[in-house]
Amino acid sequence: MKTKTEAKRQAILKAAAQVFREVGFERASMSEIRTRIGGSKATLYNYFPSKDKLFFEVMHHAKALELRAIVGALNPDADDLKRELLRFGQKFLAVLYSPEAIAVRRLVIAESRRSDIGKVSFERATVPIEKQVAEFLRKAMKRGALRTADPKIAAIHLLSLLESELLQRVLLGVIDTVKPDALSGVVRRAVNVFLSGYERR
Amino acid sequence: MYRAVQYDFGSDPHVKKSDIKRRAILDTAYRLFRAQGFDKTSMAEISALVGGSKATIYSHFPSKEELFVECMMAALENYLSGTLKHLEASRGDPEAALRNFGTSVLNFICSPEQVEVRRLMIAEAARSGTGKLFFDKITALRTQVSAFLSARMESGKLRRDDPELAADHLGALLEAEILEPLLLQVREDSPDEKETALAARRAVAAFLRAYAPAVQQFGSLRRPKQQRTEKRSEKSTVG
Repeated sequence: MKTKTEAKRQAILKAAAQVFREVGFERASMSEIRTRIGGSKATLYNYFPSKDKLFFEVMHHAKALELRAIVGALNPDADDLKRELLRFGQKFLAVLYSPEAIAVRRLVIAESRRSDIGKVSFERATVPIEKQVAEFLRKAMKRGALRTADPKIAAIHLLSLLESELLQRVLLGVIDTVKPDALSGVVRRAVNVFLSGYERR
Repeated sequence: MYRAVQYDFGSDPHVKKSDIKRRAILDTAYRLFRAQGFDKTSMAEISALVGGSKATIYSHFPSKEELFVECMMAALENYLSGTLKHLEASRGDPEAALRNFGTSVLNFICSPEQVEVRRLMIAEAARSGTGKLFFDKITALRTQVSAFLSARMESGKLRRDDPELAADHLGALLEAEILEPLLLQVREDSPDEKETALAARRAVAAFLRAYAPAVQQFGSLRRPKQQRTEKRSEKSTVG
C-alpha cells in the first residue's frame, strides 16, 4: 500500500466538493470523483472508505466553519441586542437549512448508530458553537442587557428556539429546503420569545 | 414512564384473520426490539416466534425499518394519549402541569427505542415517506399541547399569542438540553428522572417567562435595576 499524502487527500476533498456541489449528495458517485483526480478506485478508497465519509469530511467541515464564522461575528458590544440576534439568526439558519447542511446533518444522525461520526460532529460543531454563543450571552448579561442566568443553558435555549419551527420538518423530509427569505419570520418569532424569556426590564 | 403496547387479540369477532396476524407480528416485534434493539433483531427471528413464513411478515411489512417504525409509533400514540389526558385534567397553575408533562415527555423520547426510531426516520427521510408519517404523529401531539396552552391564554394565565407557535417553542425548549447528544450517540446512557426533571424545569421556566401575561410587565418595570432576583412574578414580556 502506498503511503498517503496530505496533498493527495486535499486534492480528493477538493474534487469531491466540486462533484457534491454540482450534482448533490445522492447523485454523486465515487467513480465520478475518481475520474476528476485520476488514479485508481483503490487509491480513493484507501483515503476515504465510503462516499458517506468523504461527504462528511467535505461538507461537515465547510458548514461548521461557516457557522462558526457567523457565531464569531456576534458583537457583544452592539447597542441593539435584538437587532444583533436577528442578524445572527438569519445568517445562521440560512446556512443550517441549505440543502448540503441538511444532507450532512441527516447523514451524521444516521451514521452515529454505527460510527463515532456523531461524536466528531458534536465536538467539532455543536460544542464550540454553543460555547461561543454562551460567551456572547454572558457578556450581554454582564452589561445588564439580559437577566442573569446560566449562559450555557441560555445559549442552548436560543439555538433551539431558532430551530423550533423548522428542524423537525427539515430532518424528517417534510420540506426539502428553506429559502433564506422565508426565514425572517421564523427568526423574528424565535428572537422575540428568547428575549421575553431572558431580557431584563 | 413507559407503557408497553398491548394488542387485543381476537376478542372482536369482526377482526379479520390478517389483522390478527398483523397485530401478532407487531406485538412480537415490539417485544424483541425493546429487549435487544433494532440491529440485533431479525425478521427471521420475529417470523419464527410468530409462526408462519418470512413471506407472511413481508406481506404485512415490506422492511424491518417499516415494521420498527410501525411498532414505535404505536408505542408513541399509546403513551401520549395517557400523558395528554393528565395534562388536560390539570387545573390551576400551569407551571406544575407543564413540568410534569415535560418530564414525562422527555423520559419517553429519551428512551433508547425512541432515540433509535428518530435516527431511523431521519436516516430514511430522503428515501421513504416514513419521516412524514412520524411528523404527522408529532403534529397530533402538538395540536393537543396547543389546545392546553390556548385554554391558558383564554383564562389569562398566559399572554395571548399563536398557541401552535407556543407549542413549538415549548417543545424545542424541552428537547434543547438533552436530545442532540443522545441522537448523535455522544452519550450512551439514557438520562435519569432527575436529569429530565431538571431540563424540564429550566425549559418550562424560560417558556413561562416568555409567555407570562402582560400584566406582569408593570411590576417588573418598577423593579430597581440592581435587583437581580430570579422570581418569575417579576419577569416581563415583550411582544
